[in-house]
Order: sequence, then C-alpha cells, then structure tokens
Amino acid sequence: MKKFLILFLISFHGLWAQVQFEAKVSKNTLGLNERLRIDFTMNADGDNFSPPSFEGFRIVAGPSQQVSQSWINGRSSFNKSYSYFLLPTQKGTLTIKQAAVEINGQIYKTNPIKINVTAAVPQPRDPNDEPQVSANDAIHLVAEISKGNPYVNEPITVVYKLYFSYNIGITNWRELNKPKYNDFWSQNIDIKQLVAEEGKYNGEKYRCVVLRKTVLYPQKSGRLEIEPLSLDIDVQVPTNRRDFFGRVQMVDDNKRVSAGSKTITVKPLPEAGKPIDFSGAVGKFNFSVTPSKTNLKNGESLDLKVVASGTGNLKLFTLPKPVVPNSLEMYDPVHSEQVQTPLSGMNGRISDSYTIIPQFKGKYPIKPMSFSYFDLSTGRYKTITSPEIMITVMDGPTASSDAVAENNVGTNKMKVTAGEQFRYIKLKTSLEKMHQKDFLGSTLFYVLLFLPLGIIPIIVLLKKKKEAIDGDVVGNKIRLSNKLAKKYLSEAKNQISNKEPFYIALEKALHNFLKAKLNIETSEMSKDKIQEILLSRKAQPETIQSFISLTENCEFARYAPASSVAIQQDFDKAVTVISELEKQIS
Amino acid sequence: MNKLVFIFLFITQIFLAQNGFEKGNALYQKGEYEAAISAYESVLNGKQQSAEVYFNLGNCYYKLNKVAPAIYNYEKALVFHPNDSEIINNLKFAQKMTIDEIKEVPKVGFAKLLRDFTAIFHYDSWAWIAVSLSTLFLLFFVGYYFSQITLSKRIFFIGMFVLVFLILISVLAAIFEKDHDVNERPAIIFAEVAEVKGEPKASSSDVFVLHEGTKVYIKETLDNWRKVELTDGSEGWMENSALKEVK
Repeated sequence: MKKFLILFLISFHGLWAQVQFEAKVSKNTLGLNERLRIDFTMNADGDNFSPPSFEGFRIVAGPSQQVSQSWINGRSSFNKSYSYFLLPTQKGTLTIKQAAVEINGQIYKTNPIKINVTAAVPQPRDPNDEPQVSANDAIHLVAEISKGNPYVNEPITVVYKLYFSYNIGITNWRELNKPKYNDFWSQNIDIKQLVAEEGKYNGEKYRCVVLRKTVLYPQKSGRLEIEPLSLDIDVQVPTNRRDFFGRVQMVDDNKRVSAGSKTITVKPLPEAGKPIDFSGAVGKFNFSVTPSKTNLKNGESLDLKVVASGTGNLKLFTLPKPVVPNSLEMYDPVHSEQVQTPLSGMNGRISDSYTIIPQFKGKYPIKPMSFSYFDLSTGRYKTITSPEIMITVMDGPTASSDAVAENNVGTNKMKVTAGEQFRYIKLKTSLEKMHQKDFLGSTLFYVLLFLPLGIIPIIVLLKKKKEAIDGDVVGNKIRLSNKLAKKYLSEAKNQISNKEPFYIALEKALHNFLKAKLNIETSEMSKDKIQEILLSRKAQPETIQSFISLTENCEFARYAPASSVAIQQDFDKAVTVISELEKQIS
Repeated sequence: MNKLVFIFLFITQIFLAQNGFEKGNALYQKGEYEAAISAYESVLNGKQQSAEVYFNLGNCYYKLNKVAPAIYNYEKALVFHPNDSEIINNLKFAQKMTIDEIKEVPKVGFAKLLRDFTAIFHYDSWAWIAVSLSTLFLLFFVGYYFSQITLSKRIFFIGMFVLVFLILISVLAAIFEKDHDVNERPAIIFAEVAEVKGEPKASSSDVFVLHEGTKVYIKETLDNWRKVELTDGSEGWMENSALKEVK
C-alpha cells in the first residue's frame, strides 16, 4: 500500500518536471498607440525557436533572449524567454499565431493569442519625460477638398497638408496606406520639394507642408468616399529635461496621423436638355473641324482634323467621328493629346486626324459635325456644330465608267473627251396629268382586245348570207326589178313637171313592178299576157284594167299634150294601182 | 358657253403649268435653285407632272447638296423614263454623296431573263401591243377567209396561230409587269440617320443603321412601321417617317 503511495507521488513529481513552452502577453487589450510585450518562455533549453509572423503588428524591439537558472532548496529551475515589443498597425481583433521551439528533439508550440486593439488611448507618462507639447496636438494631417458636391466629371482637387507645431521636429515620414480613388479618374501632381510654409490651424500658428496634390474627376454620381491617407511620422518632441548646456532635450516619438475619410456627393449631369450626341465632355471647349484642303486632284489625299480644345475632362471623352460619303476612303484617325493637368484640372487640346482619299471625281459633302459638352459655369449643355465641308475632286475616274488604261504616250494630240458630266436640266417637257388611269385592265382594253374576235363570226355569217343570196337567181331578178320599180317611181315623182321624162320613168316603173311581181321578161310583156297572169294570181279585174289603161296612157301621153294636173293624177293613180296590186297578188 | 369657260380654264391651267416649268428653268439658269424648286413644285401642285420636271427638281436639290430629295426626284423621273441616260447619269452623281455603301446582289436565272424581257415596255404599252395584235389577227382572218390562192390562205392561217401566241405573250407580260409594278415599292430614306430594327418596335435592337439617300424596297407594312429590304438582300423594320415612297 505504502509502495503505491510512493509511486503515486513520484508520478506527480514527473508531472511537475514537464516541459513548458508558453506565450505571455503584457495585455490582451491595448490602444492603437500602445505597445505590447510578448514573451515566449520555456522551462527547458530549446533550439530552433521560430517566432510567429506578427500580422497586424510592427516589431518595435526584439527578439531579446533571457536565460535564468536558479537553485532553490536543491531544486533547480531553468527559464528561457524570447521577448518582442510590438506596435499594432490596425484596429480590431488580431491573432498572434503559434511560435515553435524544439526541446529534446520534440517540437513544442504555444497557443495562439487573441489581442483586441482599440482606438488610441492617452498614455500616462513619466512627468520628466512628459513632452512639453503633446505630439497629438502638434501634428495634424488635413485633406482639403475643393468642392463637396461636384458634377460628374467636374474636376475637384484633394490637397493633403501636414500642419505641425513650431517646437517639434519631424525626422521622417512614411505613407502607411496610399488612398485609393475608386470611381474617380485621378492624377497626382508631383511635388518636387517639400516646402514648409506658415499656416494656421484652429487659429494657432503652425508650419505647414503640402504633401500631396491630386486632381480627381468623379466618374459616377452619388456619395463617393475618398479613402484616408495615413502617415507614420517620426517626431522629435521636446521634454522638460535639459541637458548639460541647458538645452531642451528632445525625445524621439512616433506618431500616426490620418486625414480621415471624406465623402463627397457627386451630382449627376442633368438629363433635361441632354443632347443625343453627348459623349461625356464636361468643361469649356472649343471645337473645330478643318480639312487641309477642299479642292483636290485625283490621287491626292486630305487630312481632316477634328480638334477639341479648352479645359475639362479632355482625356475622358471621345471626339465625334466624321460621316463621309462611301466613295471617300477614310482611314482610322491618328489621335494626339496635348493636355496638362494643373490643380485647376486638365487643359489643352485633343485631336483626331483622319486621312481621306477620294476615289472618284465629283463633290462630296462632309456632314456638319456637332460636339456637345456640359458647361460647368452655366450648368447647361452646349453644342458646337461645325459647318458642312464640301470637297471637290477636280478630275479622276468617274464612279460609273470603268477605269480604262489608255496608252497616250508619244501622242501630243489632246484627246477631247466629254467624259461623264453632271447634266444640265431638260428644257422641254410635255406635262401629263397625275393619276392617269391604267389602260391595262380598263373596259376599253377588254373591248379592243376581244372586239376582233367578236367580229369574226359576224364576217362568217355575212359571207354565208351573201353566198346564199348569190345562189338564188330568180329571187335576185325579182329583187332587182322591185328595186328598179321603186327607183323609177321616185324618178317619175322628181320629173313630175317635165312631161316626157315623167312618163318614161312611170312606164319603166310599172314594167319593173310587173317583172318583180310576176317574174316575167320584158319580151313576153303584152296586155293579154299581163291580164292572164294577173288574173291567175287573183288580182281583181278592175285593178288590172286600171293598170293596163295606165300603161297605155303612158304611151299616149308621151306624144299628146297633157296638163300638169293630168300628170299628177296619173302619178297618184300609178301609186294606188301598185299598192292595190301588191295587196291582191298572192 | 359653260363648256367654253371650262376649255378656257383648262388651257390657262396648262399654260400656267408650262409657265412654271419655264420659270423654273430660267431661275435655275440664274443659279437661284431654291426659287426654281418652288417654281417646279407649283407645276406639281397643279396636278401636272413629267419626267423632266422631276429631273430638273433633282438637279436643283443636287446643287443645294440635299442628297435625299435629289435622289428621290431622279428616281421619280426614272419611273417615267426608265432608260433615260441623263437621268441615270445625274442619279449616279447624287448617289456619290450618300453615306451608305450597299452592294447590289445581281439577280440571275430565269426570273431575271423574264423580268428583262417584260421590262422592255411599260404594262400599258404591252396592253396596246396586245390590242394591235388582236386587230392584226382579225385582218389575218379576213385574209384567210377571203383569199382564193392556197398559198396565201396557208400563210394567213399559220399567221393567225402565231398571232394568238403573241397576243397571249403580250397580255401575260402586261399582267406580270403590272404585278411587279404593284409589288415593287422603292423608297428613299429622308432621315439623316435611320435605325433599322429587328422587330417593328421602338425598343427592339438595331440591326443596322442607314443614312439619307439610300434606296430601299418596302416589303410589308404594319402601322407606321415598314419592312424594308436593301439591294444586298438584308431586311429590317423602320419607321415610316424616315422614308418617302417613290411611287
């Protein structure tokens, strides 16, 4: 039992003798301006100590090594430590990572330590070392912004000025982080030599150095932040101590200053009255388009220079492109910039130079070009329009004619060719009414087209009829006699005053009437025969009688005197007899 | 009496129109192109027109460097006299001032041959040709019908068939030509810059951009949008206000 107890105690002793390697910090929470001491201690001698990378800290001092060995009451204790003095470079929770050491062939590591870095805290100081002036009060970094609410693309300047008191000295300064100007076009203005001037800060006299000048062109509207500039400055601060000669002893100190972040509100360019061709130019410009020449010969080229000059964001917009007819060959422009950037913003001129080669004879207009910009002084858009440029190409091939290589070498004769000329107006015209109706599809068209086809059957019918008529001999004779009877009757009527021709005509009329009606020849015409035939044709005897007496009468009357009354009577009688016979003869 | 007044009015109108043309010519001679334009326009306002009036108008606009109206008037003059060399020549001069360069895709094949043939005459001329052939057909028929000699009878008979064939050709040519005339709607772009869109919508994306003086052919119509085709075959929609139809 006792043995067990001893063994137990021995084992405890073994625990006591265990190797320890740990990291100790002077404090877990510190201000940004305070220093942190970290000790890596071990109770056994180790080799190959590798410190962690102190991210977020700057090593001010260290590593310093310390070894101590002591014998107390026959028990030896060994202690070895590496110490660092650290200065945080940023606020927030920082982690010091593991350190490693090799002890007795084994690697031991410390635990990571979290350090909370707060804002700078006032530090109690040794009253003797206490400087007469606090470095906090003696140094100020100020960012001066020329305008808090500019338009988009309006130049603003940021000037960083360092104010420092007369009784401190600055030995060195480093930029901790350069400000980034996101959403700005920025141009740093180099300062060749830092010159200290007199200046006033909060009503006190200070010395002042302009550290940095930047011209900024905001590229978008809204609230934009300008990141702060932070400086780490080594200063010499006077203390209350005096040296042997009574001079004030200076103490080196380190001071961080930051200009603080600034926010500017960028106004967008007004939408009202924004020209269509606006390409973002803001400032005050002149605009010109100048051709090197306007009258060209074939094969010559011309330079068209598009120039914008003035003050404004010259590098930040593009010049308008000229529009030329397709028969002018235009090459890509040569862009040139002559822009200075003083604190007031860019000024100078930018130009695009186009080479144009005409290919054919003729005149070619180059369209007026317009250039619009936003005038900051009036707050309005302005448009400058260049006049139209007319380029005349004197000779050369015309567009229409193919180029024909003519070999005129050795001939001194001038060849007179009219070539293709722009033709003069026409001097004569025959005007016609507007909206004339189409002939095609009109009724007249159809009528005229189909009329000949319609006439064809008529012709056929007519011919058929004529043939039929020609074939009918008897009918033709009757028809002829009928016609002659009528003809002579009308002749008789005409000759009613002349006795002889009247009776001849009347006789002929009566004869032809008989020929037509009875179908007999003149040779067979005798009174008996006439009577016989007429009777057989069912004519009435009285009418026959009067007809015969009329024919006889005609013969007598020719040789006998007769009055005009008798002639009229005979004519009337003839008409009555003919019409009656016509009715009676079947 | 009333008729006399009408005839008098008609004559004076023709006289005045003729006067406007000559006045325009005189002003053109003096170089007063703007005034010449208004003189020629007065002829057109009197519902009178001719190829020469449009040609002279085109010349005036060309002298004033107005590309689109010049080309428009030359094209209009060409509607009346499609083969006038002076008009074609001056049109070429005006076309050199345009900005767009559009290739003409040559048409080939049977359709081109057919079109070349029918384009020899205006469709009204084809109609008159058909009518006169039809009359000739009648004469041939008469010749055939009444001829006594066998040979001439045969000739007339064959001639009749040939004529029927020719009548058919000329009528078809006239119909084809008229159809072509109705369907072909050339137009000139008057807007300085005109966007041609993929769809008949203002929000649609631009397919290509045309400039003034370019000739397009209208294919379809939707509200105030026109589907246009270029001579190189590309198509798109554009607003009516940017165009002016030639016919």
